[in-house]
Amino acid sequence: MIDERKLDLVVLAALDALDGEDRAAFEALVAKDPEIQREVAAYRELVGRLGTATAPVPPPAALRERLLRETRPAPAARPLAWLSPALAAALVAALAGLVVVVAQRNAARREAAFERQAAQEARQVAQRAEAEAAALRESLAIEVAFRELVIRPQSRVVSLAGLPPAPQANARVVWHAERREAVLLASGLAAAPAGKAYELWIIAKAAPVPAGVFQVDAQGRAVFRLPEGLDFAGVKTFAVTLEPEAGVPAPTGPMVLAGAVS
Amino acid sequence: MASAAAASLIRRLTSGDHKALGEFYDLYAGLVNGLAIRILRDPAEAEDTVQEVFVQVWRQAARFDPSRGTPEAWLCTMARTRALDRLRKRTSRREEPEQEKPGASPAPRNEEALAVRRALDGLPPEQKRALELAYYEGLTQTEIADRLKEPLGTVKTRIRTAMIRLRGVLGPAA
Repeated sequence: MIDERKLDLVVLAALDALDGEDRAAFEALVAKDPEIQREVAAYRELVGRLGTATAPVPPPAALRERLLRETRPAPAARPLAWLSPALAAALVAALAGLVVVVAQRNAARREAAFERQAAQEARQVAQRAEAEAAALRESLAIEVAFRELVIRPQSRVVSLAGLPPAPQANARVVWHAERREAVLLASGLAAAPAGKAYELWIIAKAAPVPAGVFQVDAQGRAVFRLPEGLDFAGVKTFAVTLEPEAGVPAPTGPMVLAGAVS
Repeated sequence: MASAAAASLIRRLTSGDHKALGEFYDLYAGLVNGLAIRILRDPAEAEDTVQEVFVQVWRQAARFDPSRGTPEAWLCTMARTRALDRLRKRTSRREEPEQEKPGASPAPRNEEALAVRRALDGLPPEQKRALELAYYEGLTQTEIADRLKEPLGTVKTRIRTAMIRLRGVLGPAA
């Protein structure tokens, strides 16, 4: 049972309203008491729900365009130079790309100050540059996460071979059972038909467990970070099937890739 | 209201499906914008907040954990954090923003939102006021006590009592 003084700390912490000595007292308390940790999580969730009572206000239509423009993935393929000294080179090249992109954007902005006509073009260049920079940052983040996964001694790798529907395909899964993290790298896959996606499965003793859906790029490649928290204990096989794009709880479509864990 | 549609959209976002972002935005942009406007009282700053929240959704959809709450609660937490950051960066903070008039705002969007609204409106006014200063203005316990000219202990008791009551009335999220 939590007394009133502790509950004060928990509730105010969930609202981020603690200060002074109480804040220090809470931090000392939460560090060693699992019951307090659970209570804070429960009250944080309650605080999250409070916001839903606010009346919704639709934002201007232009904001939707801005969001989709700035988050649009770059068409360029993500470099697949993992697991090799080329990784460092790829990172350097990507960083250099960022610098060039930012420089281009700045140049475009200076020009925009002089001529109206030029300003229009410059804005477009800047937007494209920002989108590319965002995509590069995203791709770098995945690469860094992947590298961290690979260098951990407990991480394991399995190769998946293409099956008759996709004989050219191959893939690797790198996973860390304890950290419950994994990445799949695939190549040689055809783009999934409209409304479809590839779904990865973890097969241990019981029924296959869904491990996320992914799409491939124009070159037939994919770099897919599996959702966190999956259970890899006793995994015997990783497999990929073609499924409806939202994913399904149990496989229904043709199996395109499979690899047994030795 | 962790609807099947929202869950499926988040799965697609996790796999990098850009189209899913537009659909997710259509479902929830009004919610995020409404909360940001309520906190910032500035439509332009609220728009920037909406943009930031959905960019974060796009980059970090994999971090959403359904066992820790609904997508709405997740979005509201991100929106509140970012809006309060902006509020704190303003050089001069208005001392007394206009208070929301009871019954003046349009109805919220679904049953869960309605239940939360009713639970908040059911609080004694002094408890609701203290909670609102923490939630919408991001004030700390000491700042709330100063603003209300009440002892710190009174403020703590009001907020604790309010939150226990809300938790009791609302129970776990649907």
